[in-house]
Amino acid sequence: MSPDPDSELKQALARLLLAMADDELVLGHRDSEWTGHAPILEEDIAFSNIAQDELGHAIAWYGLLGELTGDEPNELVYFRDHEGYRNVVLVELPNDDWAFSMMRQYLFDAFEMVKLSKLIESLYRPVAEAAAKIRIEEMYHYRHTSNWIKRLGLGTEESNRRLQGAADTLWPYTSQLFVPLPGEEALLQAGYVASSGELHRLWNDLVMPFLEGAGLLIPSDKSVFATRRSQHTDHLKVLLADLQAVARMYPDAQW
Amino acid sequence: MNDTQWPRFEVFQQDQDGRPHQNAGSVHAPDGEIALQYARDVFVRRPQCISMWVVPAEAIFAKTAQELEAEPLWQESTSESRTAVETYYVFQKVSQRRSMTYVRHVGQVEATSPVQALQRALGRYGHSESYVWWVCPETAIVKSNMDDVQSMFAPSLDKTYRMPQEYRVMREMLEATSEQMKTEEE
Repeated sequence: MSPDPDSELKQALARLLLAMADDELVLGHRDSEWTGHAPILEEDIAFSNIAQDELGHAIAWYGLLGELTGDEPNELVYFRDHEGYRNVVLVELPNDDWAFSMMRQYLFDAFEMVKLSKLIESLYRPVAEAAAKIRIEEMYHYRHTSNWIKRLGLGTEESNRRLQGAADTLWPYTSQLFVPLPGEEALLQAGYVASSGELHRLWNDLVMPFLEGAGLLIPSDKSVFATRRSQHTDHLKVLLADLQAVARMYPDAQW
Repeated sequence: MNDTQWPRFEVFQQDQDGRPHQNAGSVHAPDGEIALQYARDVFVRRPQCISMWVVPAEAIFAKTAQELEAEPLWQESTSESRTAVETYYVFQKVSQRRSMTYVRHVGQVEATSPVQALQRALGRYGHSESYVWWVCPETAIVKSNMDDVQSMFAPSLDKTYRMPQEYRVMREMLEATSEQMKTEEE
């Protein structure tokens, strides 16, 4: 069943799709910054692979959004300013060391795993179908990042220290993943999504025992970064300047 | 100086049911589990694949046909200790025609050592076009399992955006190149 045009439900669905697409696009771009710079050739290829998958998922969500609203994906990606982006700050923070990027990717992959495991049951068929496809790739991402978190967490004194530092820095930002989008109530009633609260519980149940098993402490900083997704750091401006430069220089070019 | 390189693993890939696992190349990895993941990332980005094996290079006993001719196996200083019999996988290069084709899996033998395994393999699988032999104990092989097929291999099939032909710029470049080649031939 499709929502009535201009209904509260349709607007809420559009917000959800935009948020999911923007998260994937911005994280995919951050990951792609490692291409050619990762610590070892095989990991360079593996992480670039993940970056490309995330961009592929962004394309899928922007595509569904376009079907719903008529928005053109290229227009949304290349000609929208940072104020219009709805990604979480977690994915726009600049890369630091390898442990930081691996921990961020792990925390986000875990979010994707719980989110997609619910979205495959969405009563909005196009979302359920896309989620089923994307989830298969995310299972592989989760396997990759969780295997590395284990090895770095249980590895040397230095690898544990760096990974713990990354977890401590990133932890407060994860709470923004679970801030309900405006109109979530309508999506819940239509059976389109699970509640943000439920996703947060599932995520905690997955991530906390796993990190502890990897020799890490659950960060004690309980401060919560729970602003709306319209709030961004200046890091996103810099990222978008890079991402959008060529398209804006040649707006009529066909690729 | 310490060698900081991770150990090398040889990668074997099976394209479809009924086809042998073929050597695809190698990856460096800290352990077999990560090696299997890297093997997938490096070698299965586009082509079809239903199963993969990785083997630490140091677990492989390798001989070329020339080496065997110059120095038959019985001359190897083997200490045929009374170790238990175990299963060895046998790989063989059987064609000089295609440069991309290296050794492929031909079968298993039971043996107490790599040398004995190769001796038995020569008897069972040897023929005039056996150019290279590899044997390794089955216990050294890390295999993908059936559950991996979906998440490791299936997605690569429909990622058309990874193909250069997916992009207009590339299509036009390819067309222009083939036009140019035609003109030059004429």
